[in-house]
Amino acid sequence: MNYIVLVKQVPDIKNIPNEAWDWERGTLKRAFLDNVCNELDKQALAFAIRMKEQRGGKVIALTMGPPFADEVLVYAMCVGADAGVLLTDRKLGGADTAATAYPLGQAIRKIKEEIFNGDQNYIIFSGMQSVDGDTAQVPAQVAEELGIAHIAYATSFSFADKELRITRITRRGSQTVAPLSYPCMVTVTDWTHPLNASFIRTRWAQSQKLYTWSAADVKAEEARVGLAGSRTTVFRIFPPRDVSKRKCIMESDASKLAQMIKETYASKLAATEEAKEEVTYHLPEGKTPSYQGEVWVYAEQEGKEVNAACLELLGKAVELARQLKEKVGAVLVGDGVSGIAKDLIAYGADKVYLAEHPRLREFLPVPYAKAVSEMVGKYLPQIILFSATPLGRELAPRVAYRSNSGLTADCTSLDIMDFKRGSQELFAILRQTRPALGGNIMASIITQHSRVQMATVRPGVMRALKPDYHRTGEIVEYSANVTDADLGVRIISSELRPLTSEIKDAAAIVCGGAGCKTREGFERYIRPLAESMGEFLGTEVMVGGSRAAVEAGFIERSHQIGQTGQTVKPRIYVGVGVSGAVQHLTGMQNSDIIVIINKDPNAPIFRVCDFGIVGNMEDVVPRLAQAFSAERVEVAA
Amino acid sequence: MNEMNKMDALFVGAGPASLAGAIRLKQLLNGKNSNASVVVIEKAAKLGQHNLSGALFEADVLDELLPGWKERKEVFVTKMLANSVEKDEMIFLFGQDKAARLPESLVPSYMHHRGNLIISASELVNWLGGIARQLGVEIYTGFAAQNIVTGNGAVRGVKLGDKGLDKEGNKMSNYLPGDVLEAGVTVFGEGSLGLRAGEVIKEFGLDKGRNPPAYAIGVKEIIRLPEKNNFGPNRVIHTFGFPNSKLTPDVYGGGTLYSMGPNLVAVAIILGLDWRYSDLNPQLELQIFKSHRLIKELLQGGEVIAYGAKTLPEGGYYSMPEVVANGAMLIGDSAGLTNPSKLKGLHYAMKSGMLAAETIARAIEGQDFSRETLRTYQEELAKSFIGQDLRAARNYRQVFAAAGRAGIYLGAPLSLVQQWLPGKVGLKPDYEGMRKVRLNRKSTGMLDRLTEVSLSGTSHREDEPSHITFADPQECARCGEKFGCHPCEYFCPAEVYDFQDDKLVLSPSNCVHCQTCRVKCPLQVIRWNIPEGGDGPRYKMM
Repeated sequence: MNYIVLVKQVPDIKNIPNEAWDWERGTLKRAFLDNVCNELDKQALAFAIRMKEQRGGKVIALTMGPPFADEVLVYAMCVGADAGVLLTDRKLGGADTAATAYPLGQAIRKIKEEIFNGDQNYIIFSGMQSVDGDTAQVPAQVAEELGIAHIAYATSFSFADKELRITRITRRGSQTVAPLSYPCMVTVTDWTHPLNASFIRTRWAQSQKLYTWSAADVKAEEARVGLAGSRTTVFRIFPPRDVSKRKCIMESDASKLAQMIKETYASKLAATEEAKEEVTYHLPEGKTPSYQGEVWVYAEQEGKEVNAACLELLGKAVELARQLKEKVGAVLVGDGVSGIAKDLIAYGADKVYLAEHPRLREFLPVPYAKAVSEMVGKYLPQIILFSATPLGRELAPRVAYRSNSGLTADCTSLDIMDFKRGSQELFAILRQTRPALGGNIMASIITQHSRVQMATVRPGVMRALKPDYHRTGEIVEYSANVTDADLGVRIISSELRPLTSEIKDAAAIVCGGAGCKTREGFERYIRPLAESMGEFLGTEVMVGGSRAAVEAGFIERSHQIGQTGQTVKPRIYVGVGVSGAVQHLTGMQNSDIIVIINKDPNAPIFRVCDFGIVGNMEDVVPRLAQAFSAERVEVAA
Repeated sequence: MNEMNKMDALFVGAGPASLAGAIRLKQLLNGKNSNASVVVIEKAAKLGQHNLSGALFEADVLDELLPGWKERKEVFVTKMLANSVEKDEMIFLFGQDKAARLPESLVPSYMHHRGNLIISASELVNWLGGIARQLGVEIYTGFAAQNIVTGNGAVRGVKLGDKGLDKEGNKMSNYLPGDVLEAGVTVFGEGSLGLRAGEVIKEFGLDKGRNPPAYAIGVKEIIRLPEKNNFGPNRVIHTFGFPNSKLTPDVYGGGTLYSMGPNLVAVAIILGLDWRYSDLNPQLELQIFKSHRLIKELLQGGEVIAYGAKTLPEGGYYSMPEVVANGAMLIGDSAGLTNPSKLKGLHYAMKSGMLAAETIARAIEGQDFSRETLRTYQEELAKSFIGQDLRAARNYRQVFAAAGRAGIYLGAPLSLVQQWLPGKVGLKPDYEGMRKVRLNRKSTGMLDRLTEVSLSGTSHREDEPSHITFADPQECARCGEKFGCHPCEYFCPAEVYDFQDDKLVLSPSNCVHCQTCRVKCPLQVIRWNIPEGGDGPRYKMM
């Protein structure tokens, strides 16, 4: 067995130097950031190298980038890769994910022929996503380009007899699968500590020559690479939110504070990240829309139920379809899931496109992508939205690639606009806005050279409509043509397990600092506050700690928020006894709503808060918790 | 990969001394068609990240190392040549708002800087590193030397630090033991307070009969000024007096402001580490310095974009150890080569590396790395301008120390005549200066220490074993009583030490590797070890 590891050089967004910020424009100057190897790709390397240690073979690291991206290949070789392949060519620059996946696929074919001597038995590894783009699209699209299976969110491997088994995280727990054929793609999520480099290995690596290939070397068609081959284009970069514009409202009455928090929280839920007035799109007279067709939503199901995030998408789709004067379609794929159709209609779908098949009982990317793209090809919608859930992030890239369409990942705002740049004029197209570079900038993107505009949407950002079970709609059945050969993997076992959420993904956080003084103080005030707030807001609230709190042993390091811990972007962050050293601020200042409780009115953290209350934790926290509880009862009544 | 741990010459620490040495050595070897290997290891993740200096550079040394260097096209060269000193001022600051410019005739000649080039040590190191690599020098960053390796009375090389240990020192899944590097000669160019150089000095008794070393701390900020500013290019200012005059005339030191270009200024204060105040916080002193009316005016509209701190050897000639042992040489700051009167060491560092290289080239030819052969370096060093300058300034720091409370009022005039003082003036270790006296400085409301720490870019893996340990933690309580506070809480420029309710909360990940704590811990309890390779500050233009 041989291994190819896709590695990417990314800007070091964990250590952003001060001079890298363009404060006037609120953006990051890329040139001031150090370049590092994408963290999850280091994990992928570790995965491949550990596997090689057990089963032998060669590990080849592959990257596409400017000539200086050779650094990541040298890194890969320092920690155990046998050779590095640098795919570099000016023609490849400016590529979106599809225009990246295609030449990478070509390079992989060449590696197979020339380095593996035609041997099909290899696995391609990659990190699940990169920290800069954070789209998770390239590996899935490389798999689509090669027409192979993709095992996403891999966390460990084992060998049963000679059979390789890979355990992966699923929405509902974990799953162990075995690839049915090779090659296959495995994307790795947090798995182990990245490997270290020994001096001896490093010295060897630096004495080696890399394979350096151009677009022509890998026989990549020019029309499919670089800017020309890209199906999305970024047309605007802007700051996520001006931190200095936070109005620090100081309030001494805990119940008033609770009320304000609730109102702001509700209004934030409704609003998208980019502040904008309610606009209704009007097509300029005499112009034709650049895209035609319905507005679709991929209806992610979990057996008998539809995923909540998909209902939010339907809300958005209704809004877009109204402006475009089109119908809303929902795509439902699975086995025995037709019962969900009525819910989809109630939440806004005019049509439900239903593909049922026994082979579609469990989600697998290849057959699902096949079914969805066949429907796309047949009914030609103009927009299709997916939820940026783990499943959506596996499925959407493949559907987009198969349908020759652009895809924008993880959008937080979508609307209809006209677009003019140079001689290019587009009408009634979808503006797709998303955070990039770890949430430090926002980018607005449009689709180009595509039949359909596709986007995945961050769960929790859009608002679902109130269901109306009197609505009627049409059910369009589609018979999907899936075979056993499409499955790609054999599911050996699935394990249901309560989801362990990570603080970096938390929607709401209560964070304790050194001001909690003792572990008992932390337990006594922080956790109960999180609980009452959770019930109050109707969402799960996670508990975090500042570095000082972690050092003092109040809470585990995995919950540390700040520069050397996790960067969080919850909708609401409540800091208790956190003074606000800049190291902490960089980890939480992009939170939507920041509420601060601190006894020191001069604590720097008050400078970045929306709401503040000065006082001792022992006094304020119980009052606030009580206000939360009282409020909740009132609402229920 | 059998021989991958063997090399002919190993330089420990990729600073100006090692890189100049490695360049010179490779030039000589290439000239003889020898393919002997020259390796440089560096604990920083990337070149230049652990290098900090003022820095005024007397560039004559480059004429010798890289003839025709002025014609080179690199950005660094153009920038350096554009940044030569044209305005050179010496200013005495009285109190908070008065200042007097010293007429040039009164400024001793060794303190004239016109024609010097204002540079960043980080950038110099990057430039030298590129040249070295082109010549065939192998440079490996992210590797820290954990111990020296000796055998048969000679240094044989170094053992690198292990990687992948957890906080308690247990092996994690990515544990990797450090390799043992074997070299014909190991050259220690680790900078001020080099740990492995210290090991060599101790093991081979190289400091016998010498004064104890003395150190100063430099705390530095890079400030970006508006396009239109009051400072201007090509200008250097040295100050003495405030914040150390009046209240505290007995802290030896001064301030520097160097323009690094049209709208960048490097601002620093340098303080002798023999101060007696238990609550002196050098980072705060820098803020107070910047609050002086004159300085504030010069820096108006400025924004701090980078921060760093380092120690520098100030003991001078009489504190210098022997610089060779069997299989080992000391160069640059590791050999104590800073001129305390000029506060300049870059050109000494580079020249010492080059002199060492010339001796090594011969040693490689004869495959003899004994002390006797390597001694040529020590002799050449003494004969060179380095030896002459250092001898001339031999009692400089000592007279300041001896002047005691009268400090700069007596020390400054004395320093002018120090070279005529008979013989060697003795020196006490810096930590012995600590007393139970407080400065009680008020915060200036300017930058706090933790913000500055973030501007140094420092980072350490949070779950690695602490690189700072205590010989006897009980002693900290005694220290608190003896000095009325915990001095480490104050003297550390990176807020590594914090006492809450008399309980120490240690933040080793804040550390900027200046090692002031080793010098200044009054009971000498703090042990500073080398963290995992790749950790530490990330200076770009320090």
